[in-house]
Amino acid sequence: MMPSHPYLPCFRVFLASFCLGCLWAEAAPIDFNRDVRPILSDQCFFCHGPDAADRKADLRLDEREAALDVLSPGKPEESMLLERVHTSDAEDLMPPPATKRELTTDQKAILRQWIAEGAPYDEHWAYRSLEAIPIPKVDDASRVRNPIDAFVQRRLEEREWTLSAEAERERLIRRVTFDLTGLPPTPQEIDTFLADTSSDAYEDLVDRLLRSKRYGERMAAEWMDVARYSDSYGYQVDRDRRVWPWRDWVIQAFNDNLPYDDFITWQLAGDLLPNASREQRLATTFNRLHSQKVEGGSVPEEFRVEYVADRTHTFGTAFLGLTLECSRCHDHKYDPISQKEYYQLFAFFANIDEAGLYSYFTDSVPTPTMELTTPAQEKALSDLTARVRATEVRLASSSPEQIAPLSGEVARHTFDQREGGTFVNAVDDQTPASSNNANTLVPGKEGQAIRLSGDDPVNLKVGNFKRSQPFTVSWWMQTPDVKERAVVWHRSRAWTDAASRGYEVLLDQGRLRWSLIHFWPGNAISVRTVHAIPVNEWVHVSVSHDGSSRADGLRIYLNGREAPVEIYRDHLTRQIKGGGGDTIAIGERFRDRGFTGGLIDTMRVFDRALHPDEIAHLGRGIPLPKAIPVLAEAPLRDLREKRDTLLDQTEEIMIMRETPTPRESYLLSRGAYDARAEPVTATTPAFLPPMDASAPRNRLGLARWLTDPAHPLTARVTVNRYWQLFFGKGLVGTPEDFGSQGSLPTHPELLDWLAYQLIQDGWDLKALVKRMVLSQTYRQRSQATEAHQAKDPENVWLARARRYRLSAEMIRDNALYASGLLVEHIGGPPVKPYEVAASFKPVDHEKGDGLYRRSLYTYWKRTSPAPVMIALNAPKRDVCKVERAMTATPLQAFVYMNDPQAIEAARTLAARLLDAHGDSNATLMDDLFRWMTSRHPRPEEQRILKQMLEEQLSHFRDRPKDAQQYLQTGEAPLPEHLEPTQLAAVTVVANSLLAFDDCVMKR
Amino acid sequence: MKPLPLCTGFTDPYALTRRSFLHQFGMGLGGIALADLLTRESHAKALDRGVLGAPHAGAKAKRVIYLFMSGGPSQMDLFDPKPLLNERHGEELPASVRMGQRLTGMSGNQSSLPLAGSPFAFQRHGQCGHPLSERLPHTATVADDLCMVHSMYTEAINHGPAVTMMQTGSQFPGRPAIGAWLSYGLGIENDNLPSYVVLTTKGKGGQPLVGRYWGNGFLPSRHQGVRFRSGKDPVLYLNNPDGIDRASRRKMLDRLNELHALQLEEEADREIEARIEQYELAFRMQRSIPDVMDFSDESASVLNSYGDDVKKPGSFAANCLVARRLAERGVRFIQLYHPGWDQHGGLRGGITNQCRETDQASAALVRDLKNRGMLEDTLVIWGGEFGRTNYCQGKLTAKDFGRDHHPKCYSLWMAGGGVRPGIAYGKTDPFGYNIEENGVHVHDFHATLMHLLGIDHERLTFRYQGRRFRLTDVHGKIIKGILRA
Repeated sequence: MMPSHPYLPCFRVFLASFCLGCLWAEAAPIDFNRDVRPILSDQCFFCHGPDAADRKADLRLDEREAALDVLSPGKPEESMLLERVHTSDAEDLMPPPATKRELTTDQKAILRQWIAEGAPYDEHWAYRSLEAIPIPKVDDASRVRNPIDAFVQRRLEEREWTLSAEAERERLIRRVTFDLTGLPPTPQEIDTFLADTSSDAYEDLVDRLLRSKRYGERMAAEWMDVARYSDSYGYQVDRDRRVWPWRDWVIQAFNDNLPYDDFITWQLAGDLLPNASREQRLATTFNRLHSQKVEGGSVPEEFRVEYVADRTHTFGTAFLGLTLECSRCHDHKYDPISQKEYYQLFAFFANIDEAGLYSYFTDSVPTPTMELTTPAQEKALSDLTARVRATEVRLASSSPEQIAPLSGEVARHTFDQREGGTFVNAVDDQTPASSNNANTLVPGKEGQAIRLSGDDPVNLKVGNFKRSQPFTVSWWMQTPDVKERAVVWHRSRAWTDAASRGYEVLLDQGRLRWSLIHFWPGNAISVRTVHAIPVNEWVHVSVSHDGSSRADGLRIYLNGREAPVEIYRDHLTRQIKGGGGDTIAIGERFRDRGFTGGLIDTMRVFDRALHPDEIAHLGRGIPLPKAIPVLAEAPLRDLREKRDTLLDQTEEIMIMRETPTPRESYLLSRGAYDARAEPVTATTPAFLPPMDASAPRNRLGLARWLTDPAHPLTARVTVNRYWQLFFGKGLVGTPEDFGSQGSLPTHPELLDWLAYQLIQDGWDLKALVKRMVLSQTYRQRSQATEAHQAKDPENVWLARARRYRLSAEMIRDNALYASGLLVEHIGGPPVKPYEVAASFKPVDHEKGDGLYRRSLYTYWKRTSPAPVMIALNAPKRDVCKVERAMTATPLQAFVYMNDPQAIEAARTLAARLLDAHGDSNATLMDDLFRWMTSRHPRPEEQRILKQMLEEQLSHFRDRPKDAQQYLQTGEAPLPEHLEPTQLAAVTVVANSLLAFDDCVMKR
Repeated sequence: MKPLPLCTGFTDPYALTRRSFLHQFGMGLGGIALADLLTRESHAKALDRGVLGAPHAGAKAKRVIYLFMSGGPSQMDLFDPKPLLNERHGEELPASVRMGQRLTGMSGNQSSLPLAGSPFAFQRHGQCGHPLSERLPHTATVADDLCMVHSMYTEAINHGPAVTMMQTGSQFPGRPAIGAWLSYGLGIENDNLPSYVVLTTKGKGGQPLVGRYWGNGFLPSRHQGVRFRSGKDPVLYLNNPDGIDRASRRKMLDRLNELHALQLEEEADREIEARIEQYELAFRMQRSIPDVMDFSDESASVLNSYGDDVKKPGSFAANCLVARRLAERGVRFIQLYHPGWDQHGGLRGGITNQCRETDQASAALVRDLKNRGMLEDTLVIWGGEFGRTNYCQGKLTAKDFGRDHHPKCYSLWMAGGGVRPGIAYGKTDPFGYNIEENGVHVHDFHATLMHLLGIDHERLTFRYQGRRFRLTDVHGKIIKGILRA
């Protein structure tokens, strides 16, 4: 025991917040963190706390020095604080009645005593660095199996209690098998365990379970809530997305027992690790699992900011146990996180080339992405890439052929005359351009030009080029003003609604931008002129692409000369076709800003990249040479096309890929995306240990900081979550909030010891889990004595094991497993079992294996999540959740008893047991009961089961048609050889047991 | 059992009463368990009465029927006529009126924003003289019961965020919906039905509805809205599977109750009692829910008043009648969703159609409640998530046009439940673009709604992530001007 530790000396009072009124009678020394901080935090900090902007009377009570304005240590009577909380003058009373907050008599007494004792402050417990904690001595070590028990027993002895005896062996194997694999033990496994009388029997069992591949599935199921995993994008339109390869990585990581610091680092920043592996990059999908938006007309920046905020909040909740959300709009009211510090953290997560909206008109995966190539694709791609490169090199030194100048022209529109709404194409009369009369004809550079309304396009009938196809477009234009943004012309379906897939020439702050795009901005090549083009002046422009899919293969020529450009984007790996809008359109684009008042004259389109001599001719009238030298590019084009086709066939997944230069981040006033205040750069909050000076200010630096052994929160938050997973409730009851408003740890030394040990073990998660489940604290009985029930109904002190309902996944998987229907294989695309057909937006369920996979693989649609999972308290996974609220509702009864999945499982189990037991109802009922509860029925239970079976038998004998009907539920084949009334009756009994306490509760 | 104040009081031959329940397995129960069960009533009450136990003070409304018109009904084509728009039809929206208001990406890049007058004629109705569009002839007949609010405003400009705002007080996902707050605060009035029921019009396209709109957010999940479907199972797996009748299920439950009674003796865990009760409640719901959906006891005149659609399960009219039946049975918050009010184009036909689907039944509901003396303490709300622009989205043609989303002003009406009938609150400018007086923010609307139910919106809080959350965040003023004295 550590005498210096503040929590140990006094335990009569636990958590002032929920034991008040009964216990504050004795005047034992006050502990600031335990007794005073919760009062100050909850009642005072809102106005007198860390938030500088809203602070009243310039008084803060979260720091002692400042608080001394109203505190006279040792002299309660002279302390204004006490005067103000006691006054009967409503004007002066604190907290002010208008706040609808009120101090209780006990709270006032605590404050008085604290001031009398000198009003000491203390650092918030969770922000103190971890230290080695000595294992406490206990008086009665008979039930102490490992250090966990010593900490728990020590606390119990202070109440003259002790750990309970070990649970019945059947209960124990059921408990630990569910906890480590998410599935129940088989009767055979139970028998083996019961027969194993060696002292290592339980540890051997635990080792076996930890080796099971099901362990990874079980642990991953919990991480899905934390990571807000969903197979659809969420928000309102909520299309499907393909992120399950990340889920499979998680399962693998747990099964491989990837050290937890790597588990964190890879997910936060795997892309930034040196020579990042495919798995390390794939892990970063974690940061992209937030909801994403496509709703028409949404402001992209509003949602981009929302995505970055979600990443930041998830980081805060999952790893720091801090409610960063609170400091998005103002300084945190309770914890020392300023609004500026929020945006400094935010800045770590902003540096990816993402769009605020995904594409409505295409199925492009929002950037940044990685290709998930198969090994065969990988090999073919690297071959092709090498051949493309070699061919490029060979071609560069080959001797050119000569061709006729300006060959390959596919369109020439002079816009001199409109006939029936069309403009003739001078090189092909089959493909005229068209426009309505809102675009007018006016005197132009050569004859007439077209003047654009900005809301009406001129549609050409050419231009559906692949990215391997070189091409050129040239035209005359005149802009009436410096356009902030205007679409001069484009070949695409839409702007944000199609992520601009295609190619386009824009005016961007008066400059010309020329781009080929798969998904803007992360998968595109784009160059922009260094200078703005002149206003109210005819300019001849040509743009070309050489088929290389590289930014240096893009050219812009102004008035016949190559214009200096800057490279704006240089990452194009997928097709630019296929998104709709297959031909060039001038002056207007869906929901984009058109070229209002702009003039266009003589537009020409060529299906090759023109030679500078040809451009010089078009742009400034230099006479054409007789012939133009060109390289024999056809083989290169073929190779590129092959490579591109292969790339287009690969699957993609959203990941993190840091932009070369950090995006500018700002403090956003009131959290509003369009209220930028001061610029901020990425760094961590001042109240936590600083980042290593040499660490990069990016996500990798952040992950290194987070997993540094000196970090006070990461390990504590982690062990608390896993404690919650196996003990039903965290040592800190608010796993999402370790800050000032959170619960205090019930067993602070145990929490710290476990956290410290986790770090000492190299973040070995399986070792942590094993330590927990080997403890007597875990293994003890769950029954409460009358004393327990009376004095510790919530089981805070762990004199018995916690009992609580199994998770949604366990309940469904249990039925499938017991019935033998469960189809076990790890990973793969999500599946659609029966329940999706009953969801808010019903979709057809699958046939065959997809009906019987573990619930981890059930298709998750955010706006219409699997209804059985939701009924059994799974969160919707809109946002990061680190705790499931288990509430019982009558709707759960319908799931247990009427869900076709449950009935089919009951029937399948019934059929199997009828085959095994024949007419021996007694052994059949025994076996059935055992499959459902892992134990034999007691005699009285046997009697009831027998009665239930007989009643159902007689019921169905009278109604054979009902039996037949009942047995039709589900897709699994009906065993022909069994007598239907008997099968139906056993099925009812099996079904009822799926709703039985011992089947759904962990006890 | 608690008396059910408004229940129609059918008797279910299989329903298990407390007495028979105890009697049935009295033999198997130990002393402790029996004592526990006998005190269960107060235990159950504590669960069911909500955290407040009773309203704070002065409740005028006991329940709410909220007819949510999803998509953004056009205020100047329904309730808030603007002749100036007809006079200046086709002229550009003056910058002095727009004042930099952000636009959606749908019309934000248009080079022209031409004003558009309503294609519908307006007339004043009732003693109060509410002006109403010619497309609302039935609503016109209950004009004097309606409290019109013309000055609603919000920040959101797109459906998802705006509906989320109207329902949860935040544009972004994660907060509890109004009905969830009420369930949390006031609990359940009828043991046999959920306290918060959602009904959506079947077969409507339009902007998708998502479960988040009636979610529990961070509140315990029992407070989430239960959506009744129009099909065979109004709630998930409500009906027994084929081949299992009520008698069979009763027998199974009786034996399961016995197993649970034994288990209770063995484990001394209150959860087991709760489980027994939940299963019994579910069994009762298998009766009470279909009973709500079955209109066979409604008179022909009542059915006729809702219009022909009332015979089509899942229609808006049928849902209105279900809402009344739920209200009678003590369901506290009944929310209907009728999508399709998103007239970006084809406004004339679109609004005509929407009104045809909703006008008669909305008016019938108000009158039906009034005839039964229920309008006094039932608050009916009709409205959407934002308004529509006074200018045309896309091309203003002679034949038709559309309007984009407009957050700066919109109209909704309320009736009954403590609001002043026959008044119009708030005023928009002659362009129908800005609010001229008495703006009502969504938070104010929520504060007022809570007030009508007797809840101080500042005192119904839930602590989550270290913070006391409320429906109205840190905002919300009660709109005194619409409260009946």
